[in-house]
Amino acid sequence: METERTVQELVLPMGANVGQFESRLNFHRKLAAIVLLVFAVSFFLPFFFARENRISAEIPGRISALALLPTLLLLLPPTMILLYALMRNSRRSEWLLSFAGALGLLAPLAVLAYVGPQVVSTLGPFARYSPGSGMYLYVTAVAIVYLMKARIRIGDYIGLAVALAVVLALGYQGSFDRLGILLEARNFGTRLSREITAHIRITGISIGISVLVGIPLALVTFQSRRMRKLVFPLLNVLQTIPGIALFGLLIAPLAALSQAFPQLREWGIKGIGNTPAIIALSMYAIYPIIRYSFTAISSIDASVVLAAQGMGMSSGQVWRIVRLPLATPGILHGVRVALVQTIGNATLAKLIGGDGLGVLVFEGLGQASVDMVLLGMLLIIALTVAADRIFQILITVLTPVSLRREGV
Amino acid sequence: MTTGPVRPTLEETPSFLKAEHISVRYGETVALNDVTLHIPTNRVTVLIGPSGCGKSTTLRCINALVKTSSGHIDYGDASIQAMSETDLRRNMGYAIQSVGLMPHMTVEENVDLVPRLLGWKRAERAERVSRLLKLVRLDPQVYRNKYPHELSGGEAQRVGVARALGADPPVLLMDEPFGAVDPLTREQLQDEFIRIQRQLKKTVVFVTHDIDEAVRLADYLIIMKDGMIVQADTPEQILAAPANEFVERFLGPDRSLKRLSLFTADHCCLERVVSGTGKPSETQLPKGSNRCYWQVDADGKPIMGYTWIHNRIIERPITSSTHTVQPYSSMKECMSAILGLGMPATAVVDDDGRLYGEVRFETIQTISLS
Ligand SMILES: Nc1ncnc2c1ncn2[C@@H]1O[C@H](COP(=O)(O)OP(=O)(O)OP(=O)(O)O)[C@@H](O)[C@H]1O
Ligand SMILES: [Mg+2]
Repeated sequence: METERTVQELVLPMGANVGQFESRLNFHRKLAAIVLLVFAVSFFLPFFFARENRISAEIPGRISALALLPTLLLLLPPTMILLYALMRNSRRSEWLLSFAGALGLLAPLAVLAYVGPQVVSTLGPFARYSPGSGMYLYVTAVAIVYLMKARIRIGDYIGLAVALAVVLALGYQGSFDRLGILLEARNFGTRLSREITAHIRITGISIGISVLVGIPLALVTFQSRRMRKLVFPLLNVLQTIPGIALFGLLIAPLAALSQAFPQLREWGIKGIGNTPAIIALSMYAIYPIIRYSFTAISSIDASVVLAAQGMGMSSGQVWRIVRLPLATPGILHGVRVALVQTIGNATLAKLIGGDGLGVLVFEGLGQASVDMVLLGMLLIIALTVAADRIFQILITVLTPVSLRREGV
Repeated sequence: MTTGPVRPTLEETPSFLKAEHISVRYGETVALNDVTLHIPTNRVTVLIGPSGCGKSTTLRCINALVKTSSGHIDYGDASIQAMSETDLRRNMGYAIQSVGLMPHMTVEENVDLVPRLLGWKRAERAERVSRLLKLVRLDPQVYRNKYPHELSGGEAQRVGVARALGADPPVLLMDEPFGAVDPLTREQLQDEFIRIQRQLKKTVVFVTHDIDEAVRLADYLIIMKDGMIVQADTPEQILAAPANEFVERFLGPDRSLKRLSLFTADHCCLERVVSGTGKPSETQLPKGSNRCYWQVDADGKPIMGYTWIHNRIIERPITSSTHTVQPYSSMKECMSAILGLGMPATAVVDDDGRLYGEVRFETIQTISLS
């Protein structure tokens, strides 16, 4: 009896562990295989492009045409992944992933800094270079490497910091002076920071308006059945109108309005420009805000509200003490979704004469300057990621302690 | 010797509330159908009935959480009648069936809610929270700062009860307050409830599914079925004369035993005992007598019972606390002790375990037939 139990206790969990270990190992081998495949493909695509000037044809450069040293540098990270896949204990060889990740970010940029200026120097004074699809794919493979890791540790941050420092040092030396995107950014000069601020301002005002209108509207909609029948179908229709169409639709009525009341024109309200863009963006952003807020409020446990009413809270107190604190995380998630969406949509403001990073994208398209479009896009992505991060922190801080659960 | 019930008669108690012909509808469902009921002031009224018969709905009518579709409710006290709905509810502690603790507040903040709404002073409130938690058998040190999701069902329920008692309201509405609590703690909580109620005399409306709990706590028992009241009376009356077959079935086949739980040992049936430190002599326990003799130790605690059965003296050692009863034990417990010991009577001991009296089977018989 006694021995039986001991044996079972010993054997069963071990068996379970071994099974878990095996499946974890297999999973990681599969991921490693995928990463290696992506790396391999990236070697056959153009690694970078050179141009004689900003709109002339691209001259592709491949890895196979590189000198031995840069090639070896680029081959190092995939080799580490291969080693990692061959190791038996995936947990103990995790450091290989960290190393491959940091080096994988550093290597292509270093190679670019090394070969770019060389190639460009033969093409004349206006020549420039930019990363090609091979390099993007290479970086994608590195991103998957980070996803393979069980946890991002302090070592990884140090690796990333070192890689960043080396890249900054290379940039300081002037290795990236002829990089297309940076050339474009330099051409824009102060206009660039103006457009960035404009983009943030347009987004901020739109979100501000939709929060101020949307959250109270969600509360009213929750209280009144009649409002619910009115608001949701309206929002659904609004959501189906394509962005550009909505921008266009607003031109006529706003133009008429500013014609009728010239006073409005002084406040910047006219058919084209930032005003119609802000109005259209707020109309879009209001949908996720109302949806999320409504869901957050109506998913509060009915017995909690009943208990609150039963102990004699007035309806204002029920809102203030119970509903709003419990709904706050959900409402903030709605604002976050709206924010991310609006940063992207604000690009379209340029189409009706507004400012913002859309200026770079659409002017770049007009001038067939890939680098300019790319610069605009990268800045929009950076803004989106930053806003999202900041909001995540905000949500964590504003969520009542007891409702903060991991993974939610 | 009085054999009647020890509870006050209800005729002379004023009504806290009179509901005349009230009906409640939830869409298609008729939850209450033309109900007329009176809730006596300063007494415990227990509502009992099958699931879905409208007990919770009745409670919500009392604190105006549910609108009646017909009929009207009069509160006996004119000042209550004049109150706004929120003031009315603040004067009635309400422990809801599904507990409904605020998930974003600690146990302390939950219990503290009503006193805070009423603007009590901070120092007073902190002390009150500790008292209330102890009352529901939760250690304030351990539970004070926990969140509802860290509590078991029974613990959460007890916090709910503490919250309802928060501001010491004159009226308590309790919807199955001990439903999820284990039998032992439940019994302790019932004891505590009875003890407090004897001192404070609040108007309590108590919902339960447990007929034993109902009989134990009720001054006034209301049996409901399908949104109507089937019988409303004192538990004694209902147990003695069920109105119809439904009530009879609801009370169960052991209703005579249940009725015994309404009487306590000290009130009606303590008798003189024959006892000594040695074995019984001929005079102490005459041959063929149906009386008992209790042998006690030096402290006066009973250790052995003697009686005549079938022409010979039998001895029964008293080894367990279930072999004796205490003055405030119910007659049902006396009955159980008699059966457990196998004697025609059971010894009654005081708080220190010293022999105090005895309850005889014959006496119980007389009472249950009265
Ligand atoms: N909010 C509601 N909406 C619709 N129907 C309801 C609602 N609350 C209760 N009912 C219905 O009213 C009837 C009475 O419900 P009530 O909650 O009063 O029963 P109960 O006696 O408390 O039952 P239980 O013992 O199960 O708690 C039931 O048929 C129930 O389905
Ligand atoms: Mg109920």
